[in-house]
Amino acid sequence: MAGKNELAKIVGKENVSDAQEVLLKYSSDHSLVPPGMPEYVVFPTSSEQVGEVVKWCNKNNVPAVPVSSQVHFNGGAIPKQGGVIIDLSKMNKILEIDEDLRKARFEAGVTWEQLTGELAKKDMRVFMPLLPHAHRSVLSDFLDREVMTNTVYDYGEPMQAFEVVWPTGEVFRLGSASVDGYPNSKSHGGNPSGPGLDFYRLVQGAQGTMGIVTWTNLKVGFRTKTDKVLFAPVNDLAYAIEFLYRLLPRRVGQEVLLLNRTDLATIIAENWPADFEKLRATLPPWTLIIVISGLVRRPEEKIAYEVNALNEIVKNEFRKLVVSEALPGFPGMSGKILPLLRNPWPADVPYWKNRWQGGSQSLFFIARPEKAQRYVEIVEAVAPKHGYSVADIGSYIQPIEHNRACQVEFTFFYDNADAAAKARISKLYLDAARALMSEGALFTRPYGALAPMVYEHAAGYTTALKRVKKVFDPNNIMNPGNLCF
Amino acid sequence: MRHCIKCKGCYWVDHTYQPGARFATRCPSNVWNDFDSYGAFGKMRIGLAVDEKRIEWTPSLLEIIYADPLCGACDVGCKRNLDLEIELTLEALRVKAVQDGKGPLPVHKKIAKNIDTTHNLYGAPHEGRKKWVTNDIQVAKKADLLYFVGCTASYQSKEIAQATAKILNGSQTPFMLMPDEWCCGNTLQSVGMLDEARALAKRNIEMVKSAGAKTVLLSCAEGYRMWKVEYPKLLNIATADLGFDVVHLIEFVDDAFKKGTIKPTKPVDMRLTYHDSCSISRLADPWKPWSGERGWMGTVSPRLQRRRGTHGLYAQPRNVITSIPGVKFVEMIRTRENAFCCGAGRGTKEAFPDLATSSAKHRLEEVKEIGAEALVSACPWCKANFAQAVKENGDNVKVMDFSELVLASMEA
Amino acid sequence: MTIAREAYKALEAIVGPKYLSDDPAICEGYRSGPGGYENGLGYERVMTKIPGAVILPRTTEEVQKIVKICNRYKVPYVPYSTGFYGPRSHCHVENELIVDLKRLNDFEFDEKHWYAVVGTGFIYAQLQQESLNRGGYVVIGGGGAQASVIANLIGDGWSPLSHRIGLPHRRILGTEMVLPDGELLKTGSLAVGDDPFWGDGFGPDLRGLLRGYTGLRGCLGIVTKMAVKVLPFQPEKLQPTGIAPNTALALPEKRVKWINYVMPSKAAQVKAMYEIGKAEIGGAVTKVPLFWRAIAKAEDKEEFWELWGKENAETVKNFHIVRVLLIGFTSEEQMVYDENVLNDIMQELGAQPRRTKPSDESWIKNADSAGMWLMCGSYVSVDYVIETLKQATEHGEVYAELKKKYTPPLMPDYGDPGWFQSFELGYQGYSEFLIYWDQDEDTTGVDHFYLETAKMNIKHGFYTALIGPHQPMYLTGPKYGPNYHEWMLKIKDEFDPLWVCHPPVPLAHDEFVERAPWMHQLKDWKTPKEFPMPKWK
Repeated sequence: MAGKNELAKIVGKENVSDAQEVLLKYSSDHSLVPPGMPEYVVFPTSSEQVGEVVKWCNKNNVPAVPVSSQVHFNGGAIPKQGGVIIDLSKMNKILEIDEDLRKARFEAGVTWEQLTGELAKKDMRVFMPLLPHAHRSVLSDFLDREVMTNTVYDYGEPMQAFEVVWPTGEVFRLGSASVDGYPNSKSHGGNPSGPGLDFYRLVQGAQGTMGIVTWTNLKVGFRTKTDKVLFAPVNDLAYAIEFLYRLLPRRVGQEVLLLNRTDLATIIAENWPADFEKLRATLPPWTLIIVISGLVRRPEEKIAYEVNALNEIVKNEFRKLVVSEALPGFPGMSGKILPLLRNPWPADVPYWKNRWQGGSQSLFFIARPEKAQRYVEIVEAVAPKHGYSVADIGSYIQPIEHNRACQVEFTFFYDNADAAAKARISKLYLDAARALMSEGALFTRPYGALAPMVYEHAAGYTTALKRVKKVFDPNNIMNPGNLCF
Repeated sequence: MRHCIKCKGCYWVDHTYQPGARFATRCPSNVWNDFDSYGAFGKMRIGLAVDEKRIEWTPSLLEIIYADPLCGACDVGCKRNLDLEIELTLEALRVKAVQDGKGPLPVHKKIAKNIDTTHNLYGAPHEGRKKWVTNDIQVAKKADLLYFVGCTASYQSKEIAQATAKILNGSQTPFMLMPDEWCCGNTLQSVGMLDEARALAKRNIEMVKSAGAKTVLLSCAEGYRMWKVEYPKLLNIATADLGFDVVHLIEFVDDAFKKGTIKPTKPVDMRLTYHDSCSISRLADPWKPWSGERGWMGTVSPRLQRRRGTHGLYAQPRNVITSIPGVKFVEMIRTRENAFCCGAGRGTKEAFPDLATSSAKHRLEEVKEIGAEALVSACPWCKANFAQAVKENGDNVKVMDFSELVLASMEA
Repeated sequence: MTIAREAYKALEAIVGPKYLSDDPAICEGYRSGPGGYENGLGYERVMTKIPGAVILPRTTEEVQKIVKICNRYKVPYVPYSTGFYGPRSHCHVENELIVDLKRLNDFEFDEKHWYAVVGTGFIYAQLQQESLNRGGYVVIGGGGAQASVIANLIGDGWSPLSHRIGLPHRRILGTEMVLPDGELLKTGSLAVGDDPFWGDGFGPDLRGLLRGYTGLRGCLGIVTKMAVKVLPFQPEKLQPTGIAPNTALALPEKRVKWINYVMPSKAAQVKAMYEIGKAEIGGAVTKVPLFWRAIAKAEDKEEFWELWGKENAETVKNFHIVRVLLIGFTSEEQMVYDENVLNDIMQELGAQPRRTKPSDESWIKNADSAGMWLMCGSYVSVDYVIETLKQATEHGEVYAELKKKYTPPLMPDYGDPGWFQSFELGYQGYSEFLIYWDQDEDTTGVDHFYLETAKMNIKHGFYTALIGPHQPMYLTGPKYGPNYHEWMLKIKDEFDPLWVCHPPVPLAHDEFVERAPWMHQLKDWKTPKEFPMPKWK
């Protein structure tokens, strides 16, 4: 009770809750991470309030669990040791959109739906991961290092300067937002680095354990003027990947990705389950999708030179690949795929991964593209051992920056009302992860049960990480129970 | 010395020509010893300390100053961007060592003694100096062209003198020798014994003038540098005011090929490469005396046209080599002003044989990398040093002098 | 003057007697000045010493052993790659050990995955040629092609080629570093194996300990190995031509081309950068100060001053050139597209193309920073900051205004507002302000100017490169973050409890202000009674 009153003094009475039905909403998510109940939920409306709440947590040795999104898939925001949920959904202002600097500054509570909607009004776009949920926090997804579908930019990372509340409660601005008086300053937050240390790196990928990010600057772009979506049916994954090794360094394509039949069917099926089953049966094993776009000037000429370069490569070196504007047997695919790639997944329908059976668990990691085929084989060997059919594995390969690396994602689908199925999938997930890790798969975003596996393996890194954590969070109150903390 | 910025343009191959992970350097001293003091940039700091009397003359300091073939790579590298005079500073450090009674090194003193008593580096009998002249060589009593042979070709690498003479004969160019040839003084000048070097310079110039020669021809790169650059420098006159031209055999042959007075008709079937000897390349720009003031922002007046190694004999040997039938010419990875010195010259081979040998072996790695069967240079010092390294390595590389290559292409 | 005997013996056992020395002649060669970057100034005179000993390790393991011995025997040490960065990369205390890393010069290249792995002694010129040989290129930091790749990537690391990838932090992949207390840290994919291809951490990214925007100047450990991103280039050869001093890369004009444009105004200059960024074309887009053109033309210092003497405030104010590098990454057709788009933009802005040499003397292979010293003999970049194009295009003017007060001893440049350009396709903007002086003059004014710029930036709310170890941390700290210095000092204390790693950095500039009497009049900020170091005495 005392706690609730003290918190109410900070955020206002209407912004604290300890009601069961409210707390329950935070106790679990779509992941396999076991549930955990918080004691309170607060809804701060300013960075200062966030800071005060965090200070209170320190003083009272109570965990602080930051939450920015309304839907979660990885378990990072489930309280593992009780504590206070700091829900930033009321901090959902888009603070500025600067068309000259092509950047947006917005708070943690801003969702994909919100941001893409506002940007669309100015003919602008965000560089997106694949089908983010409309009600997820954009800031959170970028902080978590979600991989973009766009492979062409050398600089890769879109986040710029942001504000964080340290685990000790200080409000702190990073990079070029750190200047006194920002944003009423000559500096506009275009540089995330510094001052003194690269704090932004320490906070990225931290799953809320190193502080609470309240707003960020983000690179955004202008909408493409015209697009050509190309498809290639793929039977030989390794061959398609060799093609990408040749094509992508030539800076051809905007969004480029590979989806296996199960994943693609899950995404595009309209009438369930008939459409889905038909698609799964008739789609090629993999589909390579390449979007070529014309930008703000001479768009047709840009498309022309990229298509010509692509055709040259296919003609001279990859004859087996049939690249065209249609996916044979699937009319209208181009018109369907492009808006899917450029918009978040709508919130009023089940998330694409959960449309089929209600539940899903994705296992994703960074890899050398040439090893993708091997990783597919590994998972296809492990799955049946847990009674999971190979045909039911969803697979997605996302090339990164000219195909210097890729993200590989396997999704296992299950009936989330079936406890036994859930348990089987849990085991499969860990088993697959172990096998993949032993052959070089990099789980750089180790959620839930992956974390102990990863941190044991990366012993030296773990030691140094814990030393850094100790400096910023001496009382270990910031989302404990995640990563190696 | 106060303006060295430690950019190590004196150590690295010019970035424009930088070949990559291997063969990236230009400084034999600093490749032989990795401490910064062995590079020119380190020596600039040491030079200041010497000048300001902050450091004592020790064997270690003497080694730093003398373990250095003074190849000019640092000077030219620095001058790609800046206006410093590295080579002159390095020479001045040796002069200072001699002035302070601490230099040169014992082995240099022995060479100086040899020069003094027998007029050659080796202490060999002076009377034997012309023994290289064989019966099939015509030497004129008087001619416009004087061939200055030098100690090494006279006594040790006679084949070079002989090949040169035969080329001259073959071109129908009469040549004379010095009535009484003495050492050019290269080692003396290089180790800082300027008085002795100057005395030799005066004597040798006088003898050329009284012999009535219009041109002095050298087949030795070091000798060429001495006559063309150091003699004027020692006497504080310009190269143009010597009273005669100084040419290297390379220039002569290049000219002769163009005029047709020598025709290379015999094929030489070899895959060969060419090593740009320092003294005919980056150290070969003519000398002009200068004195003036340093002014605002370090500008000097009067204006000084600096010697940046731009006018070395780079094109000429290549013209010649590529005109010889049968030759497959392949360039070294480091060429022209970026060539890596063999490490022998200017008193280095005698005082630091290990530096000379390891530099030569390092350069031979390049020869092997490009798959050359033969290595051609235009200096007896280079040839002898490379030949020794090849022998020690057991490499399958033929080491030739430029004169031998040219002669091989001429009909008898 | 040397280091403790026991330490010396222990160090000798690691590298052997050939690679360790305390000989005075050897140590003198490692003196910082008086010439060089930021040299001839008060900081160099007051803060630098020659080492007590120099050691040349070959491997990470040797470096780690050396650092542990330094911790045991309380021997302060400085990591040193090329020593080019001026006084800040040299010894600051007596009886200090220089750890000269030039022998860590291993090199590997993964062509397929576009990265190279280098040791600390490997320089950019080498990496660039190796990259060009394989159809790639890197951004050679403005420090010059002679800079160590690793040292530059953790300190500076940008050039006009940063139009495509600005923040050098983004180019760092798997990295190996020896922490100040001797522990070994491997980041990215190296944390779990031998494959260095990936840079992000497992969870939080400990590359955060490497830089802090413009580097920690070696006070938080020694980086011994790093995988570095190489960017795909185009396949035609860039042929080196010319004899020193006029060497240049001949460009294959259908795939690589510089074009200079004369812009009608500064506003047009700036708009061009925005538009080119928005159009996502080009390999480099930059404005250069007028005196750089004079440097490029001049054969020597005297000729430079002759050329420069012809300019004045009016000519400087009305000189607006934008230099654009076009790269045909994809094809010749793409090059044509880029040039058409560029000309569309330039026509809209009323710009005129000028005849431009089909060669590159600088940015692609040379990044010729050495020319910066040609004019006066002394030089430092007093700011070099990545921010947005909005800050970048305004920053220089504020500097130029402040600079008037300190000219002389600063070189007269008629109010030139420095260098700015587009980074990361216009998402970022870069500005650099360079100053020049004659070190034989009284340089107090330069010392003052340097510090006054920190206050100027604070006052106007500019982001600046010179935070952390470059300016007094107790001055900048409270005003950026706020209080970034507290976190930095906490991290420093955690990983270097003895402060043996390059003491007294990061508080070196604070220390300088305390020690130099002519700086006292500028001190109007609070400092603790005692600085939290040294701890090794």
